[in-house]
Amino acid sequence: MSELKDTIRAFVVENFLFGNNENLEDNTSFLDEGIIDSTGILELVSYLEEKFSITVEDDDLVPENLDSINNVTAYLQSKT
Amino acid sequence: MTQNNTTIKICKRCILPVTFPGIKFDDQGICNYCRREESAAARASDKKEKYRKRLDQLVHDIKGKAPGYDAIMAYSGGKDSSYALKLLKERYDLRVIALTFDNHFVSPAAMENIKKITDSLGIDHICYRLPWPFIKELFALTAREDIFSAPTLLRASSICTACIGIVKSLVLKTALEMSIPLVAFGWSPGQAPIQSAILKTNSALIRQNQSALSNAFPAQIKGRMDQYLVPDAYFEKYKDRFPYNIHPLAFFHYDEEHIQNELVKLGWKAPADTDTNSSNCLLNAFANYCHLERHKFHPYVWEIANMVRQGVVNRDQGIGKIYSEQNSDMVNYAKERLDI
Repeated sequence: MSELKDTIRAFVVENFLFGNNENLEDNTSFLDEGIIDSTGILELVSYLEEKFSITVEDDDLVPENLDSINNVTAYLQSKT
Repeated sequence: MTQNNTTIKICKRCILPVTFPGIKFDDQGICNYCRREESAAARASDKKEKYRKRLDQLVHDIKGKAPGYDAIMAYSGGKDSSYALKLLKERYDLRVIALTFDNHFVSPAAMENIKKITDSLGIDHICYRLPWPFIKELFALTAREDIFSAPTLLRASSICTACIGIVKSLVLKTALEMSIPLVAFGWSPGQAPIQSAILKTNSALIRQNQSALSNAFPAQIKGRMDQYLVPDAYFEKYKDRFPYNIHPLAFFHYDEEHIQNELVKLGWKAPADTDTNSSNCLLNAFANYCHLERHKFHPYVWEIANMVRQGVVNRDQGIGKIYSEQNSDMVNYAKERLDI
């Protein structure tokens, strides 16, 4: 689980925070903190689909699944 | 390369400067963002084809089924949104309505282009204009302060972020009210990645995103700003109407010269009074100037660097767009109007 979190964190830091991981906690809301907007969520989804060989359905595109490192981790675990 | 009269190092492949957050150069002078994109670039052509097919299918599924319009276009009158509008009308024959947000700095030439293009294509058009005192306060605030999160400001200036926030809300609100299934934008291929080019929106995601935007504003502006955002009641009332967002220029052939030539045939003329990164807005040069002063990198550099990597803009053109001095007459024009 820790490894999974680290993988997601690394993607978010590299792609949305341009290498600056200050203030990114496991439960930091991507949307509330302006780290990722609703469009950026799709970049995250595309990464998750490719990296973990899953399909993210339109109905799964909700904050409960994608809005923090913890949420994404839990979502991935529910898919595998 | 010079920026604000200072010599700075830039990537030898794209045009990102040493001042861009998180940048590192290898021993060949290539930046880490270029290296990261190398594998994606190899797959780009297949991906574009996949997205074109997805849009074809989506259009097939929704066309003619909504009560009034199939699509609403966020329409600035600039070349990209004009071309996207033409694509929706001519390639897909959709029933489109265009919505323009008049931010009080739309170039008169762009206004003329809006009329020419919508008339030529036979497209209905709404212009949404907010009162000047509010707009003046909003832009003066965002010119002076960075009220948005740091990640947001890596991709756009504070002024542009405020303006586009209103545009996105207005088009979505109108789409919900009129039951329009597609919301289209004319983002360039460098502005937003292809992965986000076809997005089924939903009420929970948009609600939280909108709340983050609204909360960025100080109290005296937030109250007014909320009037133009999607009302809370809509998230429940219209939860089954949330549309697809599309930005088709991410996956159709993009060539600035070709686009301009095609638009000229419809009566569009390139405005002579806008800066190197806009073909509709007289505030953009000042927005860029403010961002450069505070952040030491141009707010369009991420977008243009992406386009250079994708080969849709050549490197010299990219350098011209980003490393030319902001036109001082345009900067002063905006400053005077905003009393700054």
